[in-house]
Amino acid sequence: MAIRDELKSNLDVSLSGSNVSVSSELPYIVGGETLYNKNMKKLYLDEDNVSKTELIQCLDSFDLIETETTVTGFLSVDAKNQPGDIDTIIANIIDSRNSISNQTIRECEMTTENTDDVITYTFDFRFVTV
Amino acid sequence: MGTPINVTSSNQAILTLGTSESMARPGGTDGLEIPLLQDLTISATPSTVRYSTLDSTSSSAFTTTNENEVSFNMLVDETTMFGTGGSTANSIADDGLFNTSKNKTQIHFSVAFEGKASTDHYWEGVGFIGGLAPTASMDGAVWISPGSIIVNGELTQGNV
Repeated sequence: MAIRDELKSNLDVSLSGSNVSVSSELPYIVGGETLYNKNMKKLYLDEDNVSKTELIQCLDSFDLIETETTVTGFLSVDAKNQPGDIDTIIANIIDSRNSISNQTIRECEMTTENTDDVITYTFDFRFVTV
Repeated sequence: MGTPINVTSSNQAILTLGTSESMARPGGTDGLEIPLLQDLTISATPSTVRYSTLDSTSSSAFTTTNENEVSFNMLVDETTMFGTGGSTANSIADDGLFNTSKNKTQIHFSVAFEGKASTDHYWEGVGFIGGLAPTASMDGAVWISPGSIIVNGELTQGNV
């Protein structure tokens, strides 16, 4: 199961009843506008980006492989009138990293960007396993 | 121009343990090849004593005994460390590295330089397993352990 799917399953539950829902669509662009700006208050998760690197090499050709997976989430809301539960929503999205098991690193960095009257939250999830 | 011994392909640098000289040689029947070695070092060092004389501005030396050791780092393989628990001709494989070390059992070993094909070179000897210190951390997320064979006597060169 892709990490994106696991995150979405967790967020479907943790964000139920809040002012934000999770889209099953990817954050593609329609008519020059990203879906998360077009459909505000919907969280969009991009596909897994996977990188595999050799952590340890052995003399008998065994290679210990480290797998790093990154997933980016996007959420746009009205900057003038943010949902009243936005702090809880953001905390739940960041905490959803803990729902991914068997990882040595589970990180999430959140950044914001304001464009006109829209604030876009970007969540960069990073997971590392061996 | 010399030619380095390339260990890129697997099964070139091999540490084999056994309860007899023939078993412990590269490719020996029932020999225990230590898997998942990260590195392998053989120290063949003559001990020396230095002394000075009044008529010389530099010190002199004479040799005493050879001190030999094999050292390595490995990822911990369950079967190799803890043993198969069986009752085969190779009690080292049955008991595992830890029990063989704990019981201070003398073992035969060989270190193959070029593999185990005909005419490939190796060094062999007898000694005791020591230096096991398994370590785990989330950086590597696997158990890693150093180890050594304290050689009892001389190392001998041979061909498969």
